Amino acid sequence: MPAKSRFTKLDAFTKTVEDARIRTTSGGIVTLTSLLLILYLVWGEYADYRRIIVHPELIVDKGRGEKMEIHMNISFPRVPCELLTLDVMDVSGEVQTGVMHGVNKVRLRPHGEGGGQIESNALELGGSDAAVHLDPGYCGECFGAPSPANAIKAGCCNTCAEVRDAYASVSWSFGRGENVEQCEREHYSEHLDEQRREGCRIEGGIRVNKVVGNFHFAPGKSFSNGNMHVHDLENYFTGAEGTEHTFSHTVHHLRFGPELPDDVIKRVGAKGMQWSNHHLNPLDGTEQKTDEKAYNFMYFVKVVSTAYLPLGWERTGSILDIPHELIELGGYGKGEAGSIETHQYSVTSHKRSLQGGDGGDDGHKERLHARGGIPGVFFSYDISPMKVINREARSKSFSGFLVGICAVVGGTLTVAAAVDRAVYEGAQRVRKMHSS
Amino acid sequence: MNGFADHGLDNDNFGENKAVSAVKAFDAFPKTKPSYQQQTNTGGVWTVVLICASLWLAGTELQRWWHGQTTHEFSVEQGVGHDLQINLDVVIAMKCEDLHVNVQDASGDRILAGQTLHKDPTTWTQWGSRGQHALGAKKEERLEAGEYQEEDVHDYLGAARKSKKYHKTPKVSRGREPDSCRIYGSMHGNKVQGDFHITARGHGYMEFGQHLDHNSFNFSHHINELSFGPFYPSLINPLDNTLATTDARFYKFQYYLSVVPTIYTTDAKALRKIDKFHESPSSGSDGLEQHPHRYSKNTVFTNQYAVTEQSHPVPENNVPGVFVKFDIEPIQLTIAEEWSSLPSLFIRLVNVISGVLVAGGWLFQISEWAKDFRGRRRRRTDSVGVLHGGMAGKKG
Repeated sequence: MPAKSRFTKLDAFTKTVEDARIRTTSGGIVTLTSLLLILYLVWGEYADYRRIIVHPELIVDKGRGEKMEIHMNISFPRVPCELLTLDVMDVSGEVQTGVMHGVNKVRLRPHGEGGGQIESNALELGGSDAAVHLDPGYCGECFGAPSPANAIKAGCCNTCAEVRDAYASVSWSFGRGENVEQCEREHYSEHLDEQRREGCRIEGGIRVNKVVGNFHFAPGKSFSNGNMHVHDLENYFTGAEGTEHTFSHTVHHLRFGPELPDDVIKRVGAKGMQWSNHHLNPLDGTEQKTDEKAYNFMYFVKVVSTAYLPLGWERTGSILDIPHELIELGGYGKGEAGSIETHQYSVTSHKRSLQGGDGGDDGHKERLHARGGIPGVFFSYDISPMKVINREARSKSFSGFLVGICAVVGGTLTVAAAVDRAVYEGAQRVRKMHSS
Repeated sequence: MNGFADHGLDNDNFGENKAVSAVKAFDAFPKTKPSYQQQTNTGGVWTVVLICASLWLAGTELQRWWHGQTTHEFSVEQGVGHDLQINLDVVIAMKCEDLHVNVQDASGDRILAGQTLHKDPTTWTQWGSRGQHALGAKKEERLEAGEYQEEDVHDYLGAARKSKKYHKTPKVSRGREPDSCRIYGSMHGNKVQGDFHITARGHGYMEFGQHLDHNSFNFSHHINELSFGPFYPSLINPLDNTLATTDARFYKFQYYLSVVPTIYTTDAKALRKIDKFHESPSSGSDGLEQHPHRYSKNTVFTNQYAVTEQSHPVPENNVPGVFVKFDIEPIQLTIAEEWSSLPSLFIRLVNVISGVLVAGGWLFQISEWAKDFRGRRRRRTDSVGVLHGGMAGKKG
């Protein structure tokens, strides 16, 4: 026997000498089974370790003076682009000026002809289209109305649009522009008549202040004066022979903020309670139809800020430190290292005829609708004080993984040893009973 | 040799089967021959103790698994909303024909709730017996009411299963004039910020010849039930069972509510099948019936709300009454009870029992060593006998 060193005396793991040891078949089987089980469980632990899960948190949004981008793609099959106006207003009723925008108006073929695209133009928000090929000394007459504030040449109305703006500023209806020299030069009434039966699709994005506000699509040029916001509705209501305009619309896409990339959506949506903590936009694919001209659709949107932080994101800088003018439209909200600041929203929709009436069609005769207003589609949005942060994290750290393995191995072997011992003892008893 | 092998009498036939011996070679659990093992008394005691401990721990694990885990999760409410059902049961100390109930909301609609609600004449003294309290009860009362207890989803599911009808108005005893009005029922408003109010005729909405004498004003009220969404009378809301009284004639009660859609469920997986584009069932019977899928009885869709109150007398040219201004939060709360799966329970039990056995085995070893150590020490100190001592007393 080798000399007993100090370590030998400390040995707590007693090993049975080969001669005294019994090997049984059942022991072998149990050993093999437990080995397979251990392999399976270790593989499960490893898969758990590699998995990345998303933890949602809810905090109070402490940001200030931020901007918010609204991206939309809405088509109006029965309102031509000439007649459609997009206005962005804030809670006090002021039209938001200086809104960075990249919105296109796409002319669509009439619905009966399939509604395909004809051409696409950039939409001017509250401005007028530039005039071309004019004598530099030319000063067009404004036909009784004061010259608009943002005219190309002060005191003059050089284009048809400027005359329309001038009329809108004193709330005069403009009609088809007969006998207005600028409009006859630009063939405004001919264009209007041609395009009567067309539809229009608005697509693009705008960047607004992150305050309570609304943006709406209404017919005719608009003008704001204090609390009053009016639109020139004459062309819309008169229509033309055979065509009546209505505000039937389809919201193809509406989102507030950048979109999450597809792989992120999959990860966030995979686990999670009922619906994931980041959802598809509820208004995508909404279609509303009406046959009445004087109809008004309202959507009440409540916007909740949402941030998505990928694995290992540390707060190195802030996207808010860069002046927002330097960020191009569509990029606001994309932070460093793949973090994204966007918004989810919940929405309620409401519709009514401008002539009042009740909600008898929905089975609620006691609901009286208000009268008056402007036909169109209105989106009023409100910002919630809460912010959702979806943070990616590993479900287990590496040391957690090792602990798991130890637990698995130890547990299985111990129980297997107990099982094996029980089987062996049982077999011995049975043999004794048989022999005695 | 000896010709045994020719007759098939060799080791291969008499010894062990090759396959069996291969399996045996794998046996990693050493079993010693019984003759080499020693069973002791303390070992037996330890074994019994360990068995008891592992049984007890296994029992607690099973109990923990049985109770499940309650998770609270916030998410943004999905679907496009339309309606919101408001369930109301209030008794006002004025005659029924003198009262108007209306809702005005942010979409510009005005809802003549008086047409869908029932108005029953009653007397003031018939109400107030069922432990009513004023809003903003003292802290002790709130603790008694269990405000800080953890919510149990099963309580809510059970409450939701109870009857969904309004109690019948108690009959007015003969000889007494009804001096109050019980207004009750469910009305459907728009799911937007709104304001529903109970006002007197002629004061508030323009009507001709409808003026009510100022001395008959008394907007004291019992609110038996005020809730949003599908009607579950057994669920307790903050304004349920409250009483507010006033002596002033021209008094304005204002309640400001913030409504949060809530879902209680024991079947979180079924919620994932909900259609994202239909109206949420928390908004009321319209939403609940609209869904193409039938819900299991394991889920309750409702709304919770927080309320603050501002009430004060108003001068005679203002509109008195009871005003409830509500707004709806976009963030919805889901309270779900989940149970871990059977395999993970099994693994946990295995871990617990093996941990107990291993720890017990080690403790036993250590106690044996300690005993040995002490025994050796004693033997060394009082050694007198032949080889090791201890025989002195026995000799002669």
